[in-house]
Amino acid sequence: MSVSPHIPPGWIVRFFQWFCHPDYFEDIAGDLAEEYALYHRNHSKRRSDWWYFWQVFRLFRPAMMKRWHLVERYKTQIDMFKNYIKIGLRALWKFKAATTINVIGLSTGIAAFVLIGLYVNDEFGYDKHHEHAADIYRVTVKNYAADRTVSRQWAFASAGHASRIKEDYPEITHATRFYPWAFPDILRGDNKFASEQVVFADNDVFDTFTFPFLQGDPEHAFDDLYSIVLTEATAIKIFGNDWASQQIIGEQLILQRSGQKAPFKVTGVMENMPEQQHFHFDYLAPIRFIEMLFGEETVNNVGGNYNWLTYVRTASGANTKALEAKMNNEFWDKYIGTYRSGREARDFYDFELQPLLDIHLQSNLEGEYEVNGSLERVYIFGVIGILLLFVACVNYMNLATSHYSRRMKEVGVRKVIGAFRSTLVKQFLTESMLITVISFPLCLLLSHWALPYLNNIVDKQLTFDLFSEYYLILPVLALLVLVGLLAGFYPAVFLSRINLVNALKGEQMMNAGKWNFRSWLVTFQYAVTIALIFAIVVMESQMQYIRNSNPGYQREQVVNVDLPRGVNVETFRTEMLSNANIEKAALSSRIPTGRLMDSWGSRIFKGDSAVSSGFRLPYVSVDQHFLDTYEIELVAGENFREGMETFLSRDSTTRGYYIVNETATRAMGYSDPSLAVNAKIGYGPTEGRIIGVMKDFHFESLHSEIVPMMLMNSNNYNQMSLKVKPGNMRETLSFIEETWSVFAPELTPSYNFVDELFEEQYRQEKQWGIVIKVFAFIAILISCLGLVGLVGFIIETKLKEIGIRKVLGASTQSILVLVGSRFLALAGIAFVVALPIAYYFMDQWLDNFVYRTTISILLIVMPVIISVIITFIIISYQTMKAALMNPVECLKDE
Amino acid sequence: MREFQLGEFEEIVLLTVAVLFGEAYGVNIRHEIEHRLNRKVSVSALQTALRRMEQKGYLESSFGEATAIRGGKRKRYFRVTPFGKKALDSARTARESLWMAIPKVAFEFDK
Repeated sequence: MSVSPHIPPGWIVRFFQWFCHPDYFEDIAGDLAEEYALYHRNHSKRRSDWWYFWQVFRLFRPAMMKRWHLVERYKTQIDMFKNYIKIGLRALWKFKAATTINVIGLSTGIAAFVLIGLYVNDEFGYDKHHEHAADIYRVTVKNYAADRTVSRQWAFASAGHASRIKEDYPEITHATRFYPWAFPDILRGDNKFASEQVVFADNDVFDTFTFPFLQGDPEHAFDDLYSIVLTEATAIKIFGNDWASQQIIGEQLILQRSGQKAPFKVTGVMENMPEQQHFHFDYLAPIRFIEMLFGEETVNNVGGNYNWLTYVRTASGANTKALEAKMNNEFWDKYIGTYRSGREARDFYDFELQPLLDIHLQSNLEGEYEVNGSLERVYIFGVIGILLLFVACVNYMNLATSHYSRRMKEVGVRKVIGAFRSTLVKQFLTESMLITVISFPLCLLLSHWALPYLNNIVDKQLTFDLFSEYYLILPVLALLVLVGLLAGFYPAVFLSRINLVNALKGEQMMNAGKWNFRSWLVTFQYAVTIALIFAIVVMESQMQYIRNSNPGYQREQVVNVDLPRGVNVETFRTEMLSNANIEKAALSSRIPTGRLMDSWGSRIFKGDSAVSSGFRLPYVSVDQHFLDTYEIELVAGENFREGMETFLSRDSTTRGYYIVNETATRAMGYSDPSLAVNAKIGYGPTEGRIIGVMKDFHFESLHSEIVPMMLMNSNNYNQMSLKVKPGNMRETLSFIEETWSVFAPELTPSYNFVDELFEEQYRQEKQWGIVIKVFAFIAILISCLGLVGLVGFIIETKLKEIGIRKVLGASTQSILVLVGSRFLALAGIAFVVALPIAYYFMDQWLDNFVYRTTISILLIVMPVIISVIITFIIISYQTMKAALMNPVECLKDE
Repeated sequence: MREFQLGEFEEIVLLTVAVLFGEAYGVNIRHEIEHRLNRKVSVSALQTALRRMEQKGYLESSFGEATAIRGGKRKRYFRVTPFGKKALDSARTARESLWMAIPKVAFEFDK
């Protein structure tokens, strides 16, 4: 017989040979080959192969397998391991209360840690996706006051900076500016889309940042002046979901703002900007358009007009510190030189190159494009996460060791049979791993459930999905193992240390009254609890302080309307006041709760010669109704009257009328504010007199001190503040909206309540406070759970003692004291340890606020009282149960 | 009874090995069972049963000739041992004693 051509696939045969017991292989493989040949007569090759594979696959079972080397070698270990798991599960089942507490504690602890981990990881991941992230820097400008203190540091640079530094310093290979053009309407044919921020950028933008294009070519996207690049989200909004199939490159979009129209051609569609980026926008167009619009003078400005976010990319590995020093040495001299006042420009400005990767967490400058994160907050969050994990582990340690007496005999017997200490350590570590594994599904469930809430509060889109984010599996498993080891280490060491003879004699190894490691653990939990309660109380009191503090102006019942552009202000105002519900209407360039961004140089006249004031004096342009509407008091002098406009022209006829605040008069050197009235000062291009002094008020938030400021009446308004009567709010608002649409039919009305804007200033602290409180609360809860378990156990072991004491006539109270005094002592020690540390950190935190509450005795005593009360509740409930029990119950057996 | 543990499938395999005396190797046994009893038998189920019964001592085996179609691999012929015979007997007696014990009336379904 010739060799049959029908031979089974080689790799399956080899696979079979690999696992099959060598004694069985020859004849079974022969049988299979024969059967394969038979099968092949009636079936296709493919079917036969499948059939063969299936047969081999079914032979893949222990009875047919060879003796595995590894399995053989560790057989005893595996068997012992099985035994540990079995015994461990029994122990868990037997001590249900402790197990429940541990599972709840560990799963919440791990879940909270995971959530915090996600948050922290997200915060650290900002801007990393840009290919050249490590070489990108933001150009920021420090402004110095005359006494060389930094008066402001801007996230922005001037329009003229980018091109000049790129030209002068070869280390800088690319430079781009971003100029956000406030909210033009987008028109496509007859369709109008709600106004959006369009950002203009230099051509270098696509070489600096990584903005992947879905359509179009970044190389040529800005070739034309009227180009516009959209994000995918915007493309969907304008062109619909099937934009990709529509050939939208070359389509025309018209930007329209205050009557001006400009036609732009779509030249590219880029991916949506990832969340983890410190700026976001949806439209990008060449900045040459803006330059054309603004003209030569603005474009070449190198000192002031900080409106241009400027980023540079350096050659990789460039020494930016040296570059920065070089720039500050040369730039200001070269482009500004000496001012008319005789002072050198270099004394007033400094560049600082901020690494892109540091911006999100470490930068908090004037005019950040978006609200950044804070490194400090990430650290606080991280510390709380670690504390949570520790507290949960400590729970396990406490409960596991306190159950030692029940495991003592088992340990003794195991030792007699020949268990090494290492074997016992392994056994108890297996048990702690077991409980972490059991907690794991609950932990996943909890974090899954809590994540949307966290996202909501911290304003993020964090996700935690092990199925799609498989790279998370490894860290999560590592976390599990870590927690298992951390929680199990001490119990394992402790339990395996038990002396054999003592164990079998049933002698108490750990005297309940003795100071031991477990007492430290309880103290640690108390310390964490007290510190966290303290932190919460202090934060709450600071928020209360801010909420109750008077900013110095009336914010209730004030509606602020953004003035439509190009509207006749007087008629608009008259129209608004025609409604009986609107009592007052004031015009201004900015409103309280805003920022004091505009400032000019001020000069103080001594006789006829003017001296530069040396401090920053920002201004707000307001009309004569402003003080009245916001109920800001004048301390001296008078308010503006009709016809007191300050002229901004540079000719000799300029007149200025200024109202300054008290701080400004002090800065000018007046001992009494009223002395400042009628003082002659120069302000920017204007010269005039101070006509009044107003009481200090918090124009900006309470994060910053009250700075010198001035009001002037310069006809440059874009806000109208309306004082409205309480009640009928809905009617009033719809009146405002209607009036608005009469004046500016093409724009959407935009107004705010000033008291809401006021609250908004502290939104971050508020949100942040909520998150901390929730996590701190969880930590406290876990600690309490542990305490419940521990007290329960101690009482159980002391049941006989309690019984005997009762028989001998002890009162219920004395029993309460017996159990409770020890815990109170531990709490006392924790208090002494925890409070100074917590005090130090909270004091630092409060220093972030210029206006801060003081940490009063009450705040210090509060956490102690609370933790004592908690302890008392936990102890008394369980002790009462024991103390009220009939002593017969616990004394009758044995 | 308890000393001979014999499952239903094992019993069939054992009997078939006896039926095919001298010709009882894997392929033959499988085909014989499939044809006679009209039931599907997988190679793995058969081989597992054979090896288990060999370990128990019901069967003994020896290598036979190799053929080309088998890729030059030898056949393994199985034979029932006397102990295996005892096991079969015991199974049979057990069954028969049960049959004998059934009262006639139990199967009289028509009345």
